[in-house]
Amino acid sequence: MAVRRRAGTVARVLRLWRLYGTMDFIYMTRSPRSFLMYTLSDLLLTVAAITAMLLLAERFAGIGPWTRDQVVFLLGYSVTVRGLLDLFFNYNVLFIGRRVGRGQLDHTLVQPQPLWMSLLTEGFAPFTGGATVLPGVGLMLWAGERLGLAVSPGWLALLGVNLAASGMVVFAVAYIMGSLAFWAPRGAEEINTSWMHMVDQLKSMPLDGAGDALLAGLTGVLPLGFVAWHPCRALLGHDRSATGASLTCVAALLLAGVALLAFRLGLKQYGRTGSQRYSGLGHRG
Amino acid sequence: MRKYWITAGMAATAFMGDSPLFLLDYVLRFLRVAVLLSLWRVLLTGREEVDGMTLGAVLTYTWAAEVFREQLECRTELPMALWDGGIATRLLRPMGLVAQFAADMFGRWGLGFCAFSLPLALCAPLLGVSPLPASPAAALLFPTSLALGVSVGLALEFAFGALMIAYEQNVYTFGSVRRALTSLLSGALLPLAILPWDLGRVFQWLPFAATASAPLRIYTGTEEPLPLLAMQAGWSLALWPLAGWLWRTHRERLACHGG
Repeated sequence: MAVRRRAGTVARVLRLWRLYGTMDFIYMTRSPRSFLMYTLSDLLLTVAAITAMLLLAERFAGIGPWTRDQVVFLLGYSVTVRGLLDLFFNYNVLFIGRRVGRGQLDHTLVQPQPLWMSLLTEGFAPFTGGATVLPGVGLMLWAGERLGLAVSPGWLALLGVNLAASGMVVFAVAYIMGSLAFWAPRGAEEINTSWMHMVDQLKSMPLDGAGDALLAGLTGVLPLGFVAWHPCRALLGHDRSATGASLTCVAALLLAGVALLAFRLGLKQYGRTGSQRYSGLGHRG
Repeated sequence: MRKYWITAGMAATAFMGDSPLFLLDYVLRFLRVAVLLSLWRVLLTGREEVDGMTLGAVLTYTWAAEVFREQLECRTELPMALWDGGIATRLLRPMGLVAQFAADMFGRWGLGFCAFSLPLALCAPLLGVSPLPASPAAALLFPTSLALGVSVGLALEFAFGALMIAYEQNVYTFGSVRRALTSLLSGALLPLAILPWDLGRVFQWLPFAATASAPLRIYTGTEEPLPLLAMQAGWSLALWPLAGWLWRTHRERLACHGG
């Protein structure tokens, strides 16, 4: 019985992904101009996101202990992580502070399905959001080829698990911060923007030169080190220890637990106060 | 002038209206500058000079870029006003459009200056950065260069706003692309002189360089100031008529449906 119920849940998630994927396709291709703009902006954003590090790596033939090709791999990894998040959690599912702060969580709560299922599926945007996954994977393949990486099933599994864990780290911190909007709807509405700007700017930087205090802050307090730097250290052999290989996954699980707790507490608060952001004319105040 | 002062004051206090969480943004920016400084130390320690810039000059450049970031970026509320329909009420106010957006921007600078720029300036010795301009002449010319940079930045802001209307583009998409491009082309993130393949020599003549690279190079004394000031003045003179023409031509095409 339980197995059948789970299979039904998985089937429903897949159906919803298909539905939201189709809607995303229709949204993107509604006019040639918007199609061109989305494609062009995705391309420009991807190029701009990696250009600074790429130019530095070229200028100085690497960055610290990272060779030029290793930096390219790091860039590819970080772009892929960001692309996966945009692919699965678009339309402000990742920027949850906006939905909560604006009172838009009500739109999700009234749906006849669990909240987690809505959040897992309604941000699925393979066309408007997922365009950066391919360049990211391409960069990793290109750098891997030049580095002569010994790709084994074990290494690929490590890559896959770390990509998922890195994404979960960013997602969990976004939800921990976004949960503040339950208490401060206006003040924390854009709090996720600050976090994601930080991720976008620093995700692909090797943190080897950061001092102990800064490194502790960037792994323990704001876990930017787990977005790309830590996992790539393990994948490229800078850190061959078992701790190095598993650290990102441990961090992801811990942060996911904290995020779940914070969001549940926030929902309790929301149950008591609701949202008063919508004015009579339908605009948020 | 009183109405513009009041607009600036309202913009400065609006961010503090709901909660002190806006301060988190400044904490994140502080971390960003710390990471960038550590990156430069990894890259430049042991090198005497790279393309006319010593490690000390690059650290001061990075620090100053963050202290004066809001002035170097020069962003107004224009894109959001176009997005949420607020432009309609702005146009009805008995104030100049550019001046009221500028007053808004100056007001927000006041808050950023007290909450972030001043603490970061005071923390310079703790970060191992010399906060002083390269020379007394640099200290004197920097405010002029910064003001010219703000003038170019405002002209670009209105030119981009008009183009956004002209092409009926999403404010977030347009803004993201613009932010990504200008952070690189302006030299606010990386000093243009350090870029490979002599890219900096090309980028330094673009208007984006007039907004950030020029004042920062004057502050750090890594380039002759007079040609930089002339380039900034030239762009300012060229861009304002262009921005004005673009705005007048396209503003009638604006259609807003609220936020």
